[in-house]
Amino acid sequence: MNAQLDGEFREFMSARWPVMVRLAYGLTGDQGHAEDVAQAAFTRAYVSWPRVKRSGDPEAYVRQIVVNQNRNRFRKHRVAERLTSSPPESGVVGVARTDATREYDERSALITALQRLGPRQRAVIVLRYWMDLTEQETAVALNCSVGTVKSQASRALATLRQDTELVDGGFQ
Amino acid sequence: MIDDERDLHERLEAAFEAITPRSAPIDGAVRRGRAIRVWRRAAVAAGAAAVVAIGVFAVPALLHSPATPGPVAPGGSSTVTVQAPGPHSAPGTIALGTINGQRWQFIAGGKLSGAGYSNAQDFTTSGPAFGGDAGSQPGTALAVYGAAPVSFLELTCGPVQIYYGAVQADVTYVAVRLDNGTVLTLHPVAVHGVRAVAFAIPVGAGITEVTAYSRPGEIAAAIPFNDPSGMADFGVWLKPGQHGLARASGRIGSGTFHGSAWSATAYLGPWGICFQFPAGVACVLDGVSVDSGATILTSGELSVAAGGAPASTALVIVYQPDGASTTLRPVTVGGQKLFAFQLRTGPNRLSWTDYDSSGAVVGSMPG
Repeated sequence: MNAQLDGEFREFMSARWPVMVRLAYGLTGDQGHAEDVAQAAFTRAYVSWPRVKRSGDPEAYVRQIVVNQNRNRFRKHRVAERLTSSPPESGVVGVARTDATREYDERSALITALQRLGPRQRAVIVLRYWMDLTEQETAVALNCSVGTVKSQASRALATLRQDTELVDGGFQ
Repeated sequence: MIDDERDLHERLEAAFEAITPRSAPIDGAVRRGRAIRVWRRAAVAAGAAAVVAIGVFAVPALLHSPATPGPVAPGGSSTVTVQAPGPHSAPGTIALGTINGQRWQFIAGGKLSGAGYSNAQDFTTSGPAFGGDAGSQPGTALAVYGAAPVSFLELTCGPVQIYYGAVQADVTYVAVRLDNGTVLTLHPVAVHGVRAVAFAIPVGAGITEVTAYSRPGEIAAAIPFNDPSGMADFGVWLKPGQHGLARASGRIGSGTFHGSAWSATAYLGPWGICFQFPAGVACVLDGVSVDSGATILTSGELSVAAGGAPASTALVIVYQPDGASTTLRPVTVGGQKLFAFQLRTGPNRLSWTDYDSSGAVVGSMPG
């Protein structure tokens, strides 16, 4: 790859790295995994960068790889993450809640609620309602039909509305 | 309901903005990416060595001889199969098969639209042959381009190269000969309004020849240009008994852009004329004269165009779309007068005039 293409890739990755990490974070709920997934996606984009550039929308390409990489991560690692009979402690008892801790709790509650959704519903929520993709763009990223996006979004929203921790936090 | 969605967007925004990613590991991504590219180049080099061997011992078999396959140098040791989809295959499946016993499947999805997509289609790869990289990805849309019996396009997925393309109405099957002697038979299937074929091979595996057949017999055959990135690029198709161009190559243009040097090289051969641009390789389509238009590839802000001129041409004056003009001396490569230049703006209203040594006009584009 020549210096110009190399420079273009570096500029692109520098600009879009935070967005792709946050997308991956929404899908995985874990910042460390999110950064791994995003880095793997950018690496793949670099390998085919002239072609990715020619596709006309490098961000859509990398976004799709992030979604796919995350799916692969679940396939590879699902046996490494074990269920336990008792859930881990979810908060600190007896500490006065300031505005800052309230915001932190609300953010944590939302991320936790997202992780309780199925992988596809979670991806639809993140792509549609955080990245503001259209239903069609979401369908492309998830390799499913627009109808599936609609139905998954509807179910996911209904689930989030009924999530008691989110209701307490204000999403109702 | 709208309030719910806005509220959700704001809360997602707040939750994700609270994440502070570490600084972008650009050097790490580039280093790993380069390592993968080096691995691919190594695979390509093995294929290229086989092509050279053919050139030395089968000099230059430019007359295409139907149904008399010549000796084929042994290539990679991969075992590749392909078959048409069955009644239980997923809708849109073009083909499935195996590479070294590992399954692959290639499925065409719908056309892509929206920002950034022009003439793109969604494709899905599945199966262990893709080494964990299977999934959906955008590719150039299936359609018949030019006069070729098969309009081949390509996608890379992990260690696998997929070739797919729409076929003309009279094509009943297509035979693909790989450099290890394997012959794959492709049967067109109807997907999304076109008839299409596809096959998958390891990245860097060479393709020696592709032949398209109709009910009466052979229609035409293509000997692809195996470019340095490991792709097979398809240009002209030779009808039975038809001569192709002799193999030749040469640099036909160069320049600098934002301080970086660029150059364009022409490769002539039985595939016709292919150009190596900074952004990759593009071949003149079957049924199209190199004199009749520009072949353009764009990478970022740099667009490079290549064209041809009549044999008596001494000078070409290119009129850029922004009104500027450039005077070029075409380079003779394999008997063809070719030239390349940087396109200052988009391709609309690009034109050129060809002059001989006496100053007489001998050609122009548009003609």
